[in-house]
Amino acid sequence: MTQYIVRRLLLMLPTLAGITVLVFAVMAMAPGGIGANLMTRGGDMRPEERAAMVAYLNKRYGLDQPMATQYLRWLNNVLPIGYETGPDGSRGKFGFKPPDLGMSFVKNRPVLDLIAEALPITLLLNALTIPLIFAGSILMGVYTARFRGQALDIGIGTANLALWSIPTIWMGVMLIGFLASEQYLKWFPTTGLESLRADSWTFLPSRTETGWQIGYLLDLLWHLVLPVFCLTYSGFAFLTKLTRSAVLENLLSDYARTARAKGVSEQVVLWRHVFRNSLLPLITVAASILPGLLVGSVIVETIFSIDGMGRLAVEAVQMRDREVVLSITLVTGILTLVSYLLVDICYALADPRVSYE
Amino acid sequence: MSLLSVKNLSTRFTTEHGAVDAVRDVSFEIQPGETFCLVGESGSGKSVTGLSLMRLLSQSTASHPAGQALLNSPRLQSGAVDLLRQDETAIARIRGARISMIFQEPMTALNPVMTIAEQIMEPLMMHLSMDETAARARALELLEQVHMPDPATRLKEYPHRLSGGQRQRVMIAIAMACEPDLMIADEPTTALDVTIQAQILELMAELQARRNTAMLFITHDLSVVAQIADHIAVMQQGRIVESGSRDQVLYRPQHAYTRQLLAALPSRLKRRTAAHHVDSGDTVVNIENLKVYFPVRRGVLQRHVDDVKAVDDVSLAIRRGRVLALVGESGSGKTTLGRALLRLVPSTAGRVSFRDQNLLSLSARAMQPFRSALQIIFQDPQSSLNPRLSIATTLTEPMAVHGIGANQSERLQKAGDLLLRVGLEPEMLRRFPHEFSGGQRQRIGIARALALGPEFIVCDEVTSALDVSVQARILALLDELRSEMNLTYLFITHNIDVVRYFADEVAVMYQGRIVEHGPVVQVCDHPNHPYTRKLLAAVPRFD
Amino acid sequence: MSEVAATPSNHQSETFSARVLRQTIASNGARFGLAWIGLVTLCAVFAPLLANSHPLLMRVGGNWSSPLLEHLTWIDTTLLAAFFVGLGLWMQRRRLSGSRALLLMMVLVTIAGSISYATVSPPVAVVLDQYRTGLADGSIEEAIFVPIAYSPTDRSRDNPLSLTAPDRLHLMGTDEDGADVFSRMIHACRIALGIGLVATGIALAIGILYGGIMGFFTGWIEILMMRFLEIFESIPQLFLLLTVVAFFGRNIYLIMAVIGLTSWPGYARYLRAEFLKLRRQDFVQAAQASGLPIFSILFRHMLPNGVAPLLVAASFGIASAILAEAVLSFLGLGVVDEPSWGGMLNQAVGPGGTFAVWLATYPGLAIFLTVFAYNLIGEALRDAIDPHLQRPVS
Repeated sequence: MTQYIVRRLLLMLPTLAGITVLVFAVMAMAPGGIGANLMTRGGDMRPEERAAMVAYLNKRYGLDQPMATQYLRWLNNVLPIGYETGPDGSRGKFGFKPPDLGMSFVKNRPVLDLIAEALPITLLLNALTIPLIFAGSILMGVYTARFRGQALDIGIGTANLALWSIPTIWMGVMLIGFLASEQYLKWFPTTGLESLRADSWTFLPSRTETGWQIGYLLDLLWHLVLPVFCLTYSGFAFLTKLTRSAVLENLLSDYARTARAKGVSEQVVLWRHVFRNSLLPLITVAASILPGLLVGSVIVETIFSIDGMGRLAVEAVQMRDREVVLSITLVTGILTLVSYLLVDICYALADPRVSYE
Repeated sequence: MSLLSVKNLSTRFTTEHGAVDAVRDVSFEIQPGETFCLVGESGSGKSVTGLSLMRLLSQSTASHPAGQALLNSPRLQSGAVDLLRQDETAIARIRGARISMIFQEPMTALNPVMTIAEQIMEPLMMHLSMDETAARARALELLEQVHMPDPATRLKEYPHRLSGGQRQRVMIAIAMACEPDLMIADEPTTALDVTIQAQILELMAELQARRNTAMLFITHDLSVVAQIADHIAVMQQGRIVESGSRDQVLYRPQHAYTRQLLAALPSRLKRRTAAHHVDSGDTVVNIENLKVYFPVRRGVLQRHVDDVKAVDDVSLAIRRGRVLALVGESGSGKTTLGRALLRLVPSTAGRVSFRDQNLLSLSARAMQPFRSALQIIFQDPQSSLNPRLSIATTLTEPMAVHGIGANQSERLQKAGDLLLRVGLEPEMLRRFPHEFSGGQRQRIGIARALALGPEFIVCDEVTSALDVSVQARILALLDELRSEMNLTYLFITHNIDVVRYFADEVAVMYQGRIVEHGPVVQVCDHPNHPYTRKLLAAVPRFD
Repeated sequence: MSEVAATPSNHQSETFSARVLRQTIASNGARFGLAWIGLVTLCAVFAPLLANSHPLLMRVGGNWSSPLLEHLTWIDTTLLAAFFVGLGLWMQRRRLSGSRALLLMMVLVTIAGSISYATVSPPVAVVLDQYRTGLADGSIEEAIFVPIAYSPTDRSRDNPLSLTAPDRLHLMGTDEDGADVFSRMIHACRIALGIGLVATGIALAIGILYGGIMGFFTGWIEILMMRFLEIFESIPQLFLLLTVVAFFGRNIYLIMAVIGLTSWPGYARYLRAEFLKLRRQDFVQAAQASGLPIFSILFRHMLPNGVAPLLVAASFGIASAILAEAVLSFLGLGVVDEPSWGGMLNQAVGPGGTFAVWLATYPGLAIFLTVFAYNLIGEALRDAIDPHLQRPVS
């Protein structure tokens, strides 16, 4: 198994290189290039400052050099081993060094800081979403499996498909429009993850002089309801359908028949024998819904104005902020590939027939 | 007092296409400790009868409009119970405890994510209220009783690590765990090699004797029945057409169907022509030192560490007009050998001579003209015909490629004649494979093989997937065609009785090598090699 | 032991494709899906004849003219031509085989397209308001308009008209710029269908070619191709789309190409899996044993048997391509000037928290129904191709 993990980790490297090269090439081949954009940004700087900034960036990032060189420079900066780059752009010694993700041209801050702020928020959203999707769909899938062959069966199947077909953009807009706006019900807040001044509140609900205060935790959860719902409903519908058909198929299998022949009751056949086998296709599919979650994050964060990685990415692309775009590509790429690997390992642990030798 | 008394049992399936009576008015009695065999071909309703007794049929589609099945077990307090009228809880207490069942396919019958120990312990803890330690000890004991090699290690393993024969032993252990009064066995050895089959049958007899367990043995194989039965009932289309003691049914059959089944047995068939003397005639195909190895790759870089030696240095001379039977169990390499001759599988080394050419050294292009002379017929009627093409296209396309027939209408004419020759109608040309039965599809497969006018045909287990009566007819057809067209067959099979009936010579294959080769009478009556002897001893003898 | 029951000899011979088609169309879900997509197609083809600020007929100074016909673009005429060619071929379906009809259709449409491109040239400068002002001051005596007398780009100069709720003039209200929503909805059908079909077509073509080749070869070629495929699979589609559009401009052909180029790995995998299964099937081995040419084995024996799951995947793929474009437009990076449902949805929630219900409902519903329709068709196809055999045993 360790050999397998090592092999997979090694294979991730060319894949990541491929993706970053592709994104870099797209940006480099764009009409006007990157340098052109620099001139239009930072409009609030005085001309001398701007000229100095441009000269500094040019030197530091070699923006006046050929594209291949630029990519290699970036690669060198990002890797934990490589040549150190001095503040004036000169090449230092070779060795271990902290990865340098560069500087955002637009916001004038280190990219690492930007990502460090945005990543935990996106991770929080997904950390809530993934368990909800799986727990919900497993329960629902097993529950609806008992309606096989009845009229309700087709209704459930169609309802599931309809739920899955609802575009996230529509769901988000409708939810905000009806549940979080002035004109209809204002049950939920529209933007962000915390109310104003919430960071000065206590974590748990407490009583103050002015009255009851709901506390930071509950406030956060209240803000999370709509975004998390938008992220979960689609995966939930898809996996419910999958669980249901896996359960039905396994109920008809030979080993279930053997269990019944042993005198095992139908309930026990379902939960002790069939259930575990039905989870296996779920794990396989889990890998394919992860990209969907990334896309969902982008949409949801934009609609609900949450400052996560998705929003950062969209802004960076719109502003042609090259360093940020590359770093986000790298980080999301790593996260995606690592989660694929985790899923495969989970599958190997769950299914005794699979062994990665 | 009978252990099981079945009277007028009926089973009806209701589907959207209407109702089907799979079992009609079936009655029989099983005495304690006896072996009762239920015999029939596919579609006869024998399996459904067994499942009906266990009430394992889906309640939404199956119903029992009439009949009763009285179980009179000394272990049941309530006296005789009608299995068909019990509710779910009551029947669940009987299943696995008083009556148990084992099935045909050992590969899928065990739960892949539970260990062997868990699966054996389950009925023990459920029916006998044993605690975990006691159950585990008993499970070990059961595995020893079924002669499982290294039982302690096996307990901790998962099913996929066991072979088919071992899994069937586990199934038997589970079935015998609570010492039932009756065990129903639905084709338990059909999917196993003949030597394993012999072992399993012996084991079942041993266990039966231990606790005086009765057995309802469902099968299509009359030779097995001859070996183990006390009483026999023959089923056809849902009804019992004949029943009686073993000797009565086998030696003094009353019903025409029974007689037909017995007559179709390969061991009962008379050869059409006497076996040819081996040394006469020229050699059509000469195989010299043929090796077919499949590489095994391991490690991060997938290095070639070992080989699976499917065919390991085989040499055979096949003479014209003869039938050479290639016999072996699963994994012996016989199928690989047949395909390697036709270059459907790449060979690693060796020489195959045909018409003074080494077929293995020819380029794909140079091989083309030889293709029409060397053909193959396959085992599985389901997958041997392209479901998207009509029979006409399947037959005429190869003809067109090899330039047989000046135009399409000539080819269609030839195709029609071929169908007539194999016992079908020319108007079937425009139909599609899914409209035909298994036997009919095999005939079409034969027609396809004949379409190019071959000299040599590899018959790869061509009758193994067919019912016994159909098998006899197909073999007769093949024999006729051989004498008519002076064909040579390499007949691959695992069935020794068919070999005796059909072949002139036989070569026995074991783990990629030929261990014995000679005229069929000599090898079958006076085998030399220990493996051949073991193989022949394992074949269920009729008389 | 199997003795498959033979169907009676008077049973009408039905090819596999015919059966699949019949069973798919018999399903209620597929019928609904096909009906909706039919509606969308009609809107897409006849859009300029359904919603246009140019009147169909106009009388100025006693002379009749048709500004609508004068202002048709080459895309309009090509789509109309394609529709009628398709209709004609459908009516002749008894005489033509499926693949031949498809080929004929492609050839005829290409010819129509080229002729249109060469000959059709509408006037460039257009003032859409002129007809209303002309009628008001009498310079235009009479004008007959199509049912919705607004072009999608007919933005009113008066601000009060923007973001009005549905009324008699504008059945679905107006958007931020004052353009009629109903008109934009109808014209947006083109983008949706166009991107869906073209992007999926590109992905299918690449996927089938790649998957077929991979499924046939073994050895290091296969390993290399597999690695390349995995790299392509890991490319985040939306992100690449955003990057390309942001850096290269909002070009519809570019968007179609990018969606197509990021979707093909799925199809390649499916086809490869099918080919690997098929290679071992006896009838393929029989074809090899008969010496049939490799071309025939691949395209006549293997491909028709392996293509079924691909069609199911393609149906879902079209839905996903339409969604991708909608998301792109929603984020403000969609096609310039052409109306899109996603773009309209974006305008529903204003910066001040205002909510224009009509802009959220209608475009959103349109996207949902289209995606739902393709998903239903995909499901029905899947059930028809691989029916779960009803075993009589529990």
